[in-house]
Amino acid sequence: MITDQQEITTLDEIAAPVEDHESYFQLVWRRFRRNKVSIVGALMVLTLVFLAIFADFFSPTPISQIDLDNSFIPPQQVHFIDHEGNFHIRPFVYNYTYTLDPTTFRVSWVEDTSKAYEIQFFVQGSEYKLFGLIPSNLHLFGVEEGGTIYLLGTDKLGRDLWGKACEAGRISLSMSLFGAIISVVLGSVLGVASGYYGGWIDNALQRFTEFVAAFPNLPLWMALAALVPKTADSFTVFVLMACIFALLSWTTLAREVRSKVLSLRETDFILAAKEMGASDARIIFRHLYPNTLSHIIVILTLTVPGVILAESFLSFLGIGITEPLISWGLMMRNTQDIQTLGQNAWILAPIFFMVSAVLGFNFLGDGLRDAADPYAAQ
Amino acid sequence: MLSYILRRVIIAFFMLIGIGVVSFIVIKLPPGDFASRYQAYLLGRGSSQEDAMRAAQIVREQYGLDQPLPVQFYEWVKGMVTEGKFGYSLAYRTDVGELIADRLPKTLIIAILSHIISTVVGVSLGIFVATRKYGFWDNFFAILSSVLTSIPRFSLAIIILFIMVFQWHQPSMVSFFSPQYVVAPWSLDRVIDMLRHIWPVLFIAGLGGVARNMRVMRGNLLDVLGAQYVQTARSKGLTENRVVVRHAVPNALHTLVAYQGTVLPYMMQGELEVAIILGLPTLGPLLYESLVNQDIYISGSLLLIYGALILLGNLLADIYLSILDPRIRYS
Repeated sequence: MITDQQEITTLDEIAAPVEDHESYFQLVWRRFRRNKVSIVGALMVLTLVFLAIFADFFSPTPISQIDLDNSFIPPQQVHFIDHEGNFHIRPFVYNYTYTLDPTTFRVSWVEDTSKAYEIQFFVQGSEYKLFGLIPSNLHLFGVEEGGTIYLLGTDKLGRDLWGKACEAGRISLSMSLFGAIISVVLGSVLGVASGYYGGWIDNALQRFTEFVAAFPNLPLWMALAALVPKTADSFTVFVLMACIFALLSWTTLAREVRSKVLSLRETDFILAAKEMGASDARIIFRHLYPNTLSHIIVILTLTVPGVILAESFLSFLGIGITEPLISWGLMMRNTQDIQTLGQNAWILAPIFFMVSAVLGFNFLGDGLRDAADPYAAQ
Repeated sequence: MLSYILRRVIIAFFMLIGIGVVSFIVIKLPPGDFASRYQAYLLGRGSSQEDAMRAAQIVREQYGLDQPLPVQFYEWVKGMVTEGKFGYSLAYRTDVGELIADRLPKTLIIAILSHIISTVVGVSLGIFVATRKYGFWDNFFAILSSVLTSIPRFSLAIIILFIMVFQWHQPSMVSFFSPQYVVAPWSLDRVIDMLRHIWPVLFIAGLGGVARNMRVMRGNLLDVLGAQYVQTARSKGLTENRVVVRHAVPNALHTLVAYQGTVLPYMMQGELEVAIILGLPTLGPLLYESLVNQDIYISGSLLLIYGALILLGNLLADIYLSILDPRIRYS
């Protein structure tokens, strides 16, 4: 009995203590965190996503409110010092009043300095439904009754460009993400099939990939988008457009996944799984997919900006997203008229959102690409 | 090597047929055929019902629209190859081939000019930043290129247009030449005048190419600069300039050539985007107009032309590379 007891304690002693080891995702996160640029990119993307989801909260005026009296108001300046030179702790805005030049009939807006409207935060304002469900009337900022606050000015129909741009992010971001996901699914299925089965399947799929990659993206996107019937409802247009973008952007991913699978196919653990009689499906979904997943996520991130750019261009031309949906490109549509643009230069504001989105996703993707392979030496 | 080139040509030929099929599908996809659209067009212009019907029937026979689809495809291709007939444009009331013949050279001038500029500028910048790895200029150009390429090309064009019209008050924007030079014979002044009109396109279309060429050249050159023979060259006592220019750069250029074929589509798409905004008489605005007007023969033919040009670019890059770099295997 005593010896038994002793043996057990010694066994306990000789068993190697469990080492703390970091999981794959901890390693990825550690490497990602070190890259300042990709952190900035991630923050840009997150900000835009937040602005889009809570557009009603961030917009002081109801986002779909049409107010023809306030069409093309220039961005209202936030003041700290009033026209008499007094400093205010709380920032305020002046309303714009409309004047017509008696000789040229040119519209111009001048600040009405008779009354300052202080900007208040977390104010109760117009009713909206958060996520389309939860009724709320809280807004991040606003001014008291009678004042207006258009930080980026208004468009032709008197809609607040700031609120509108936040809302447009919903479609621009979700469509590009949706399109990128479809293209990633398509690309990874074809890539894995091509790399895993090899032989004539690989050959045929590779020729097909080459063919699609050789196609001029933009003209074909334009042609296909123009074929989407004008009478289709918003949801159909959304899905069709996403599919059109996905149709041509899966080729890079298919190639990368294929080469990754090709190198994995000969590794010991795959051979072991095969020897143990695992089915093709099990090998593909249990072993190959998880190992290519990080690359797939990287490409997903890097596909999004391309779709954002293409979508904005098509919507700008009027063959992409159409009203009542709104995207950043569609918001730019008024700038097609050079005269309107010349008098109301602030309607270029959505460019800022598009650039932030594209830049953010590119930075994020580049950072993820470096981090996705944490075992490689730097 | 000959057999390699021959194989590339054959593959390119089959791809061209594939692109033709896709373009043809785009022509056929809208509901109703060309003849019924022609009929509607004639009715819209005030023809009587019977006249329009008869005219549509004539068109239907002339274009073989009552034939099965494969035959139609064959006829369409045959028309293009043997007679240069691409189909009839309702908006321009002429054969699409003439429109293309008029505008294709202008598109090519822009695409090739911006290609050359982007290669020269991009490669020079790549060499410049690679020899200053992680230095101020390296970071500066890295950030600048990612910001500039993140601006949608069409909005960059709008901004430039805005500046040209409202700040510089440049008249006659939407053409290749100022009025006094339109019919003038070629001269230095005329070329300068043309550049004054098309520089936004060259700039914007070239921008992405510059950024990509710079990145690739920088990466290649850094790889090569780490190679042993470069070290040998340095230890021989050569100046750093000579090491880079004479030994490193030529070897770093190879990979750049390989991917020049993919730069051309990029240029053409940039040209497409900017030319639509500026209204230059190139293929881009023609494609856009035809899509809006549902002038299907133009859209289909232009798709084909774009595809063929890109294919040609890839093919030339492949062949050129096989001549330039003996290390390429022809299997």
